[in-house]
Amino acid sequence: MYRTVVNRILLSGGSRRLPRYPDIRTIISSSRFSTTAQPQTVLNPSGSSTSSSSSTSFRTSSAAGDVPRHERNNPRAEYEGEQARVLQASLRHVIRLGWSEEAMIAGAKEVGISPSIVGSFPRKEAALVEFFMDDCLQRLIDRIDSGEELQNLTPSQCIYKLVRIRLEMQAPYISKWPQALSIQAHPLNVSTSFKQRAMLIDEIWHAAGDETSDLDWYVKRTVLGGIYSTTEIYMLTDSSPEFRDTWLFLDNRVKDAFDLKKMIQEAKYLAEAVGAGMGSSLQGFVGRVLQR
Amino acid sequence: MALRLLTRNLRNRISPNLCSASLLHSHATSFGFKEVREEEKSQMVGKVFSNVASNYDLMNDFMSAGLHRLWKDRLVSKLSPFPGMKHLDVAGGTGDVAFRILESINSIRRRALQDPINDDLQEETRIYVCDINQNMLNVGKNRALERGLGEDKSLVWVQGDAEALSFEDNSMDGYTIAFGIRNVTHIEKVLTEAYRVLKRGGRFLSLELSHVEIPVFKELYDLYSFSVIPRLGEVVAGDRESYQYLVESIRRFPPQEKFASMIADAGFQKVEYENLVGGVVAIHSGLKI
Repeated sequence: MYRTVVNRILLSGGSRRLPRYPDIRTIISSSRFSTTAQPQTVLNPSGSSTSSSSSTSFRTSSAAGDVPRHERNNPRAEYEGEQARVLQASLRHVIRLGWSEEAMIAGAKEVGISPSIVGSFPRKEAALVEFFMDDCLQRLIDRIDSGEELQNLTPSQCIYKLVRIRLEMQAPYISKWPQALSIQAHPLNVSTSFKQRAMLIDEIWHAAGDETSDLDWYVKRTVLGGIYSTTEIYMLTDSSPEFRDTWLFLDNRVKDAFDLKKMIQEAKYLAEAVGAGMGSSLQGFVGRVLQR
Repeated sequence: MALRLLTRNLRNRISPNLCSASLLHSHATSFGFKEVREEEKSQMVGKVFSNVASNYDLMNDFMSAGLHRLWKDRLVSKLSPFPGMKHLDVAGGTGDVAFRILESINSIRRRALQDPINDDLQEETRIYVCDINQNMLNVGKNRALERGLGEDKSLVWVQGDAEALSFEDNSMDGYTIAFGIRNVTHIEKVLTEAYRVLKRGGRFLSLELSHVEIPVFKELYDLYSFSVIPRLGEVVAGDRESYQYLVESIRRFPPQEKFASMIADAGFQKVEYENLVGGVVAIHSGLKI
């Protein structure tokens, strides 16, 4: 995934901030082509400036919910900022009202904006779920960046720890999480949720120190994707205190995955041995038949 | 159905020939393809609607083959009404959009999802139907009675001018204008008024007959508009003139992109439009922040 590499180049020095709510795809494509770290603005003679989408997203990302500095110059950033505020407030109502329009209406009222704004989100409840996923990813990135905790761990321990941190962020919403999963599985929303999960997995592997670039890259992402999804679903029905059973499950899955490599080797040897054994006895049999 | 997002610098891309001032001036003095004085336009439009009021809905069904119902449904679903909403439907004479909004808010499905607190909110819902023409409003009131909404205090019928609304600043959650903005004298004044009365977070939605660009379909649509519709008006409503005005005024109205830039100029953000039936109808939306 390009995002992590590009982000490290372009935003080096500052804290990494995942661009919030605005469409992440435009961020990726525009950041790939811009060569400077400064946002570009185009000022036209009348004084009110218009900006390319990359600078809009950079600005919203640096503001992160504060009032953008160049408000007049950047009208597009304003409504996106407000939408983000509404979504943030809506999250507090999700536990009571579920991932639904009602929660978003309650959130809008809390922030003091007319609930009509809910109609301007393209896929309403999906927007809320996607916002939450982005938010969690951002918090995970922050934990990783600040993380001395990850220094001396083996890859498998690192992965266990990161997946656990990420899933714990979902713990408060666990009663309504099945609804969120069904929203994410809806055909209209699948592509976005898939992208978000892919970014998450990529981030975790990257933090665990993964440097591969060949076919292994896909294998690793797929395996971790599987571990993450199965643990997430396990968590839905786990009623042990503080999800202890889930973490046990996770631990076992991670161990299995890392043993998978050894297992594949052993399976290969076994196949070779069987093949050799079968081959020699088959040869002998065929030879005897032909001799007749 | 294509959805396009507009940025503020669109105005700079439009060729100098179509500079906004001259196009708008021409809208204010055009009555279909005829040129009239600005002061007269309002009166002439008024006459048209007084004439068509009684057959308005019937003619709509004929001309659009019943599709106008779907278009209005789409408009209301884009609006996403909620209980306790204060909504203003301008040029909403016969009440089509207002009834749909009310029904959407009161629908059983919605009620099932609400918690008890919201039931009080349902009481506070207000849909204001504003129209400059009293005849259209009367037709609307009668239709409300027929639908059993006569006693419903959520519906308020107000006579007023879209260019000078009698409502307070920042008082409306939603503003719709369905098939009305084509008939006003000064489009920008209407847009400015819309911006004024909307609250923060409020949305502006306009449903209007618009321009078709698809090659073959465009010719067919023009043929239908200029040959069939005035004839239909003559036969069904006994009024050829008014329907001639109708089809001419559609051609005179600014195209989708231009109108979207006008909405953005009024101060709205996130201005988008959606073409229905290849551009025969377009729903423009804007957000006030």
